[in-house]
This record gives sequence, C-alpha cells and structure tokens, in this order.
Amino acid sequence: MLPLSETVTPADRNELADRVRRAAEQGQPVYPLGGGTNLAYGAAPSEPGLGLSLAGLERLVDYPARDLTITVEAGMTLATLAEHLAAEGQQLPVDVPYPDRATVGGAVATGAGGPRQYRWGTLRDYVIGLSAVDGCGTLFSAGGRVVKNAAGYDLCRLLTGSLGSLAVIVQVTLMVKPRPQCSALAACPIPDWDTAEHLLAGLVRTQTLPSAIELLAGPAWRDAPSLGPLPAGAVAWLAVGFEGTDAEVRWMLARLRAEWGETGATVAATLLDRQADPLWKALTEFRQPGPERIADGSCAAEIRVLPGHVVETVRRVLKIDGIASILAHAGNGVVLAHIPAAAVAGLRSAFRASGGSLVVASAPAGTTRDVATVWGPPPGGWTVMQALKCRFDPKGILNRGRFLVADGCR
Amino acid sequence: MIATATIPLLRELRRRLGAENVLGAPSELVVYECDGFTIEKNRPDAVVFPRSTEQVSEVVKLCARYGASIVPRGAGTSLAGGCLPVGGGVVVMLTRMKRILTIDLRNRMAVVEAGVPNLELSRALAGSGFHFAPDPSSQTASTIGGNVATNAGGPHTLKYGVTLNHVLGLEAVLADGSVLQIGPVPDPAGLDLLGVLVGSEGTLAIVTKVWVRLTPNPEDYRTLRAIFTSVDDATNAISDIIAAGILPAAMELMDQGIIAAVEEAYRFGFPLDAKAIAVIEVDGPAAGLDEQERRVETICRRWNAREVLRAADPRQRELLWKCRKMAVGAVGRLSPSYCIQDGVVPRTRLPHILRRIAEIGAKHRVRIVNVAHAGDGNVHPILLFDERDRDEVARVLEAGREVLAECIASGGSVTAEHGIGVEKLDFMSRLFAPADLKAMRRLREAFDPAGRLNPGKLLPSECGASAQT
Amino acid sequence: MSDLKNPGEGIDFGLFLDCVHCGLCTSACPTYTELGDENDGPRGRVYLMRQVAEGRLGLDARIRKHLDLCLDCRACETACPSGVHYGRLIEPFRLAVEEAEHQRSVVKRYDWFRQLVLFRLFPYANRIRLAMTPVRWLQRLGIYGWMERLGLFKLVPGRLGHMVTLVGPLVDQGPKLPKFLPAKGRRRARVAFFVGCVAEAMFRHTHWATLRVLQENGCDVLIPEGQGCCGAIHFHAGSSDGARKLADANVAAFDLAEIDAVIVNHGGCGAMLKEYGLHWHDDLQPARRRFAEKVKDINEFLDQLGLVPPSGRIEATATYHDACHLGHAQKVREAPRRLLAQIPGLALRELPETEICCGSAGTYNLNQPAMAQRLMRRKLENILKTGAQIVLASNAGCLLQIGREVRQRRAPLVVLHPMDLLDMSYRDAKPAIASTPARR
Repeated sequence: MLPLSETVTPADRNELADRVRRAAEQGQPVYPLGGGTNLAYGAAPSEPGLGLSLAGLERLVDYPARDLTITVEAGMTLATLAEHLAAEGQQLPVDVPYPDRATVGGAVATGAGGPRQYRWGTLRDYVIGLSAVDGCGTLFSAGGRVVKNAAGYDLCRLLTGSLGSLAVIVQVTLMVKPRPQCSALAACPIPDWDTAEHLLAGLVRTQTLPSAIELLAGPAWRDAPSLGPLPAGAVAWLAVGFEGTDAEVRWMLARLRAEWGETGATVAATLLDRQADPLWKALTEFRQPGPERIADGSCAAEIRVLPGHVVETVRRVLKIDGIASILAHAGNGVVLAHIPAAAVAGLRSAFRASGGSLVVASAPAGTTRDVATVWGPPPGGWTVMQALKCRFDPKGILNRGRFLVADGCR
Repeated sequence: MIATATIPLLRELRRRLGAENVLGAPSELVVYECDGFTIEKNRPDAVVFPRSTEQVSEVVKLCARYGASIVPRGAGTSLAGGCLPVGGGVVVMLTRMKRILTIDLRNRMAVVEAGVPNLELSRALAGSGFHFAPDPSSQTASTIGGNVATNAGGPHTLKYGVTLNHVLGLEAVLADGSVLQIGPVPDPAGLDLLGVLVGSEGTLAIVTKVWVRLTPNPEDYRTLRAIFTSVDDATNAISDIIAAGILPAAMELMDQGIIAAVEEAYRFGFPLDAKAIAVIEVDGPAAGLDEQERRVETICRRWNAREVLRAADPRQRELLWKCRKMAVGAVGRLSPSYCIQDGVVPRTRLPHILRRIAEIGAKHRVRIVNVAHAGDGNVHPILLFDERDRDEVARVLEAGREVLAECIASGGSVTAEHGIGVEKLDFMSRLFAPADLKAMRRLREAFDPAGRLNPGKLLPSECGASAQT
Repeated sequence: MSDLKNPGEGIDFGLFLDCVHCGLCTSACPTYTELGDENDGPRGRVYLMRQVAEGRLGLDARIRKHLDLCLDCRACETACPSGVHYGRLIEPFRLAVEEAEHQRSVVKRYDWFRQLVLFRLFPYANRIRLAMTPVRWLQRLGIYGWMERLGLFKLVPGRLGHMVTLVGPLVDQGPKLPKFLPAKGRRRARVAFFVGCVAEAMFRHTHWATLRVLQENGCDVLIPEGQGCCGAIHFHAGSSDGARKLADANVAAFDLAEIDAVIVNHGGCGAMLKEYGLHWHDDLQPARRRFAEKVKDINEFLDQLGLVPPSGRIEATATYHDACHLGHAQKVREAPRRLLAQIPGLALRELPETEICCGSAGTYNLNQPAMAQRLMRRKLENILKTGAQIVLASNAGCLLQIGREVRQRRAPLVVLHPMDLLDMSYRDAKPAIASTPARR
C-alpha cells in the first residue's frame, strides 16, 4: 500500500536515527513501518520513499512490575507486550486490533482506543514516556517513568496519535493496570431507536461501572459472535461490558438487569470471560476491517459526536445507507460505520455543522484517499499543527502526504 | 515607577476594558508581584480583569502591538511561581470570568469559564450524583483554568487521573489573539493540542473556557487510616498495596511532624505518637468494598500497622480529607516559613526516597515534615525555616535541591503536579537532555514565536542559564 | 501616642509572618468573591498592610479603599490553614491609620456621620430609641410601609437613608428589663446577661425571649446595671480609646465571682467581649482577660449546659445563617443548629454559602452600602434556594440587614433570632409564617 523504494530494518535506535538523518539530507520521504495492520488509515502517499521497519527494535527495556510501568521498544507487538504483562497479572486496558502483528509504536502513533475506552480511556492516557527520532534524525525523549509528571511540555501527548508525522517513535514507557479477575458482556436487543436513547441515557446514571457501552447494528452483526441472530423486530444490540473481581462483576450484572428491568428491557445474553472473547475481538476489529469483511467500494468511517447524539447519528447514517453496518462506542460518542465511500462527503458536512467530525478510518485500496477525503476540512488549530510539523520535520519527509504536510515552512 | 512605555498601553487597556477592569498604580500592583511562591518577586506593569474571551483576545492583541508580555493568573496559588511576572508585563486575571455555563449530565459534561474555583463546580453539582474529579489540595480557592494550566493532581489522582483526564475541550486565546476551540467532541483529524495545552503553564495560550468531564459519584466509600510506628513500614505497606493490584481511590501519607500541625489546626484526634498515618480510600460498587478493605488492612497489618480505623461517618471522612488537604498550610503553625517540594519517584522507590529525605534533612540541619500522594510515588517534603535566618535559608535551599536530585537519581521527576514555573527551571536540564529540551522549545515556538506568553517559565533559556536566585 | 513612622508599624510582626501566602483564604472572602481582585482579598490585604507597616509602600487612597472595603467578617480566619489572626491585623491597623491621619491632620478626624451617628448615637440604647421616634411615628400612622415600598427613603440623604430603612416594622418589644429573673425549676446555673445598645433598642423582645429561655433552662439571670455598649462599633470604626472606656465600664459592671457566665445573645457583641483581653496592653488587661474568659454566647452556653427540650411544635422549614462574628470569630457553628434541631416539627435546611457575610458587618452596610447590597442580594438568593419559611441569625446586624431585604423584596420569610424561636416553642406560640413556602 505504501510506495516503498526500499525498506531497511535498523537494529537499534541510533542506526534508525542515522537512516532518518541521511534521508533528510536527501529530502527522501520516510515511511515508518510497524505491523502494517493499519495502513489503510490516513491518506495514501504517492511519492516513493524509504520504508523504515521497526522490526529490529522489539526489546523489553524495563519492567518494574511493582511500579505498574513498562518500557519497551516500539517494534514489540501488542501480543508480546500482553504476554509480559500477563505473567505479572497486569494488562494494558486498551484494545488494539490484530495484536499478533500490531506494534506498540504503531498503536501509539495512531492513538489507539477501542470499546473499553469508556472506563479506561485510550492509549493517550497510558503513554508516560517515549523516545523518538524527529525529521532531522535527532533522537529525543519525553516524559519519564513515573505515573505523574508535570515537568515541561507533554510531548508524549503530542506524538501519540500524530501518525508518524512529527517523529518516528522508537521506545515507549506505559502505565499499566492490574488484570481484572473477570470480565463479562451483557447484551440486549433494542426494539427501536427511542428505546436505544432511553437505555443509553439511563446508563449515564447506572450504579455499575461499565467498561464498554456498545451499540451494534447492520448486516455485520447479523450473526454476531456468541450472540446469535438479532431477534426479529429488533434494530440493534446494546452490549455493556464489565470487568472486576468475580463478586463485583456478578453484582454489576445483577444490578444492570434490575436497572434495565425497570424500563422493560431484558438481557438476552450474558457472556462471561472466554465466552465473551470473540465478541470483544469483533468489537475491537470493526474499525479496521480486513478486505474480506467490508463490501466493495465501502470504507470504515469514524464519526465523533457527543454521547447524547449517538442514536441520532446512527439514524442519520442509516437514512443515507440503509444497510450500513454500525458499531458505536456509545458512551464516548464514537460511531463507526461501514459505508460506501461516496457517502462520506455528505455525512461529513452533516456532522461538522453540529460540532462533530468524520474521518475515514480505513479505506481499501482502489478508493480515493487524499488528505481532504480522509481527514476532511482542517480542524481547529490547523496553523499551529502546521507550525509544529515545520519545526519537527522541516523537510517534510516523515509520512509525506499522509497527514500533515510541511508546505510553506520557513 | 511606571515605565513610560506602558503608559500608552495602560491608556489603551482602560479604553477597551473600562477603568474598573485595569490596575496600573504601583500600590495596587504590588500584591501581584508573587503567588504562593514568594522567594522571587516582580511587580507587573498592569493587571487587567477581562470579562469575556473577546476581551482576553483584545488584551493579547494590544500587548502584541506594544510588545508587552502576558502572565495569565487565576487564584494565584501556584507553589512554583507560575504567576510571577518575570520582567513585568500585563497580568491577565481570569477571576471575573467565573460563570458555570452549562451542566449537561446526559453528556457527563460541564462547561465553565476559566475563573471558576474548582470546588465551586463540585458544589454546583451537589445532589446530581456527579462530581469533578480533580481535587488538588488548593481546590477551595484554585480555579479550573489554573488546574488546566498546571494539569493539577490531588489525592484522588491515583484512581481517577489528573486534570487532563477530565478535560474534554478548551477555548483558548493564542499568542496572536486568535481564539482556538478544541473539543468537546474529539477530532481525530489532527494533533492532540488539547493534551499539549493542559499543563503548559500558560506559556502556549490563555485558557478561557473549559469543557470538563463529570464523574459519577461512587456508590460507596471506605476511608481508612492506618497508624504506623515507622515511616518505613507505612511506605512499604503502600508500595505493597499497589503491587498487589489493588487500586484505591487515594492513598496518602502524613508523617509525625505534619500530624502535629494538622492536629493543632483541626483537632481530628490523630495519635501524636504515630510516626506515620496512611489515609487509604477505596470506592466503587459496595459489592467489592469489603474485599478491598480486607486486603488493604491485611497488608497494613503485615507491615506492623498499630491500628487500621475506618471513618465512622461522612462527616468524619470529610474532616479527615480536610486535614489532609489543609496539611500544607497548617505547617505555618510549626514555623514562620516553609518550602514545599513536589518530587515524584517510581512507586517502589517510595521507602527509599523518604529515608533519603530524612537523611538529607539531618545532614543540613533542616527540619523536614512529609505529606505524600504516596500511591502515585509523589512526595511533598516540607522544609521548615525562618526567613529571617539567612544561614538556615541557605541550608533549606541546598537540602531542597538535594531532595530533588535524589528524585531524579531514583528514576523520578522534580514535579508531579506543581509545575516547573520559575522555581524548578534549573532542574530541567538535569532531567532532560539538550535534544529533549530543544523539542520542547520547538513546541513553544510553534504556538508563540515571539515568546510573550508567560515568559521565563517552564523552559530554561537556550544557553541553559535562568533568572534564578 | 504614636511616634511610629508607618501606620501598623507597632503591630506584632509575627502576626504578619503567620501568613504563608498560600492563597487558600481568597475564595472565602466575600469582597474577593465579588470583585476578583487580590487587593480586595485577605492575602492581598495582609500583604498591603505589611508593605505599609514596613514602609515599603506609602498609605494612599487606593490602599485605603481596599482596606476599607474589608468587612472584618473573618471568614478568612476560618479558611486559613496557617492560623493567621486576620482580625488582630486589620483592627489595630485601622486604628493606626486613623491615628496617623488625625496627627497629620490630613483629613478631618471623623466626618459628621461617624462623629454624630456612630459615636454619639449608637452606643446608647436610649438615644437610638429616641432617634427612631420619627420613624416609629411614620409606622404608627401606617405611612412607613408604603414609603418603603415606593423607595421614598432613598430621598433621605446617604447613609442616614440606609439607616432608616434598616428599622424594621413595629413589634411589641416588651417592658424594660428587670435586674433579676429567677430560674424555673431546679437551678442549674447563675448567669449575668449582657444587654448592649442596638440590641436593647431594637431587639428588646429578643432579649426577653433569651431571658425566658434561660429561665426555662434553670438559670438565675442577673442583669447588672452600669453596663453599656460593647465598644465594637467604636473599635471597628477606628476609635480605640472610646472602645476601651466602654469595655472598662462593662468589666466594672459585672461581678464575676457570683456568676457562672456572662451571657451575650448577639454575635458581634460577643466577639468583642471575648476579645477584651487582647486589645489594650495596660494595667487593666488582666481584669479584661478574666472578664472575657467568662463570656459565653447564648447558643454555646445552652448547648454546653444541655438544653431542656422544648415541647411546642413549630411546623415550619427554617434555615440558619451563620453570623460572621459568631461563626468565624467565635467558632460557634454547631451549637445553634443542635439547639434548633430540638424544636419539635421544625425542619432545618442547610443554607448554601452560609459562611459568606450578609453585608451587614457592624456598620459596614452604612459605610459601604454598594458592596453590602451586593452581598445581601447574594445572601437572599441563597436563602430562597432553601425553600425556608423562617431564616434565623444570631446577630442584630444580620437580622436588620436580612430583614430589610426581605421586606423590600417582599419575600415570604420570617426573620428571627434562634432564641425567639426557642422561646416560642417553650411557650407553645407560633411564628407568623407565610402559608406558601418560598420558592425552592
């Protein structure tokens, strides 16, 4: 998917920095490569350039488990990270699709965040330190190894989600959490959209602590893993995830049933631990569907609105495309929709007007993927972002054409 | 004396904002020469009280035209000199922008102007079932704008995170006077400017409006106080609780010295012979609390806790938290002056750093008492002195420096929540390599190329020297 | 007596050093909360006073303005973790300023209003009563009510006009107080009652209520002759000598040996009496200190004694406003609430921002009417939020200030002293509450 003229795999960060420095001298574009699981995100670059693989940087640097922090090189996969953490009864509570291939650096660069962001936040909330190489080939570090740090600017935040446009991330220090004893998903079929909003509004005041609040609609969920077919007459599933000790999860499930019972909604399925895994996986992967899972000419759009506008948003999407598949992280106002690429522009202007936004999270090869189509009109603070790009990557070699462009740098 | 150059600026400010919103006389400027940090002082050239974002923008544009620097200020409770008008300039007070604009429970969000005191929002939320989670000890006075500028923490940071984790959106005036709105709906099409602005100490923009996340009140609490006969036992217990995978809402430490001060001020009934008290709060669904409480107590007992007591009722809990939050101010009862430090170390290094603090105090003959957001590894050693004793002042400054150096050596940082301000400028180059600082400098230049927003703070000047005592 | 160069130079410097400049007091200060300027907050004022005392700053009109705007409500003392005695800074400082200006004859020592109204009129109950005669006549003729509603008192010049509007409607104040009243039932204590000036002139009915409550609680009550004004008005207006003379007259009037306590029922007077021992350093200081130690606020006293529960039901919703000089200066907060909670049928609701001054603050409402009005409006809004039918305060100034606002806004509220209500419960009388409660 990337126009790579060659690919190198530096063995360490210094070699990597050297490589970037040389590319900068020649004005050669550099495309950092992690696991390649999210290449369909962002604009498609056209200029050939250097593929910079992080596969050589996959070491565990430091894991003081009792501090609940871990430092790893950026090329480590999320599965390997999870293994290290699991050995100490810990986890990174951020869902990243295809963890066998996806790398820590790639996840940080794309600012990953899945269904469990309702309780746990996104990866942005876990990066407490990092090292990176800027567009001049200079290695720098930010943050540290403590969970609370107010020294200087938070460059970790700046780089998380920057899509490799400011620097190549080579090492990351993460805050981690104890692994919950138990997890569960409870799902309820939704008869109509007004009921959906009613239940979602009710969940704002629930006494339980949901980890995820998910709304599932459309053909992709026709036979949702472990849930089975959606009962006739229902428009969607509402699934709520819980984590905690056995006692806590049991109590929360009972409590949810009671709260829903008052409104007439019934829990049709309760999935515990392993049983829930396939559904968790599907919820996580929906944003980055493989080509086999998305209709021809469709893309995955990520729409952001206020949580109170989720149901309205879902209805609007369905009005434009009645057979769209939709997953909403409803508690956070994230609506993911598999829709025809042609519908993007129309939907986008509709959400912009109400303070929302739409980006194309995943577009298959063959569709138009220029900066304007993928990202839409420039967001607030665009001039500052451009100024940042000019200062961190004055030659504009990093991920050229994918996100920020270094046009007009002095 | 008023610098002649500021006279036309003052005239212009008065014309735009109204005379009642501009101070220019030396006798009225003097109280703005410092904040909660009093070691350095400098009088501003003017103080203005804008009442709207448009007025803030006008002030910024005027200052740009006259080349004046700008120092945003809320309640002025910074302990690092964040509001010190280094080299004069115009202090922009946000205290007349203090409306709570919206409380929107469906979206778990409130919209407030920057000058709203932190606690006022929580008061306005009373009975709603929600609260604003960041609870810095200054929360009765400090403003939400100020909390955003310093990314303020507090005891409940341990479970609920710092201010950044509770900010959904910002309206801010940039160095050129333009107004930027980020959020409240996150836009993935761009860099995380919100994350960068929070904690930037007023050096990148002036925050005028904040969309904050509201947190549901936990169903129930258990607030425990464990009484220890040695500081070492207490810190080891705290370290073990974290390592055991228990996540209390807050885990605080007070040593014997601070207990004495707090007891004098608030008469809680703490045992004065205790060497350390850990205040540990667990919260959440009631179903899980007995279990958490039992595990916490077991670990405390394993580390020889003499007693583990539960707050009897909400009133006692409230008083307990008041004692903890007012502890620093209460130290004023122990000595005429004090200097509070804000170091942070990896949590397992907590026993080590407190031992070292005691040694450093002994070595320099400085009395040091301690409070700590211990669960986060965040220590607040308080060094006591009499400002009239010059020799003692010198020893205190030296001991303070040594404590922070020890934090760095232990893999930590020199500030967890107070910020760098002017106080810790010298430490930036010890904490960060030149390339790291350069990256930060680039960030600042991207926002404020002329360097007029809160100059002389957060980053040491390029040559490494700073305007320090 | 002063040959000191700077006003305030004589103040114990340690009191300034108590302030560690943390700023936690600011949000507790009514004027800072209203204005947002640190010059109008406690930390700023302490800083200004220190600058002047140290001679780093000359006392100019601007600084005076900020210091004059201080209510001396001492809410900052409650908020201060470091234990700054703010009252002991601002009060002597104000005295020093007055003295310095008198010596330099920069301004007239006191303007006519202070001279005549504050010093000649206020300390004397009989003169106050005499001065109120015209107003009382207007009331008897039924004209006062509509003059107030039409705002005609605004035509009365300045501060005098404000004073006139403070005078409440006619109530039966009861006869002159006797010298002695015996305990009912078994005698539990023997106390002496402090009468005061404004309180005696305008709240004699509350005095009677207080005395009856004391009797009900088994107290012999002496009302010594020769006592007078507590001196707070003089002291806070900058006349230390005048205040001292009144204090010494009071100290002489009470025979401490034969009583368990000196009872005072208004917070402002009580705070002054309790601080007699602090203000003047001369031969009589020990005697003043002994006197001060015996002074007890009525709420505090009854709470400690253990209230004989009243039995008359009062089916009403009430809220209690903490008078600054009772709450902040004397730290008496829980006692009145505990007493009121024992009235059968009474529902007590917490008042939001109860700790913020109502703007009365002694004679502040006469000297700084604009700020006083802002604070009063804020107070009434908060009172209305509670939905209470009765608002209670244990201080004359607050009762007058809140009472006027209630009348002018025609709020459906009855303004009472806690002793008024307790007394009603003992007598099985009912307050004249509006049938529809105030809006919530």
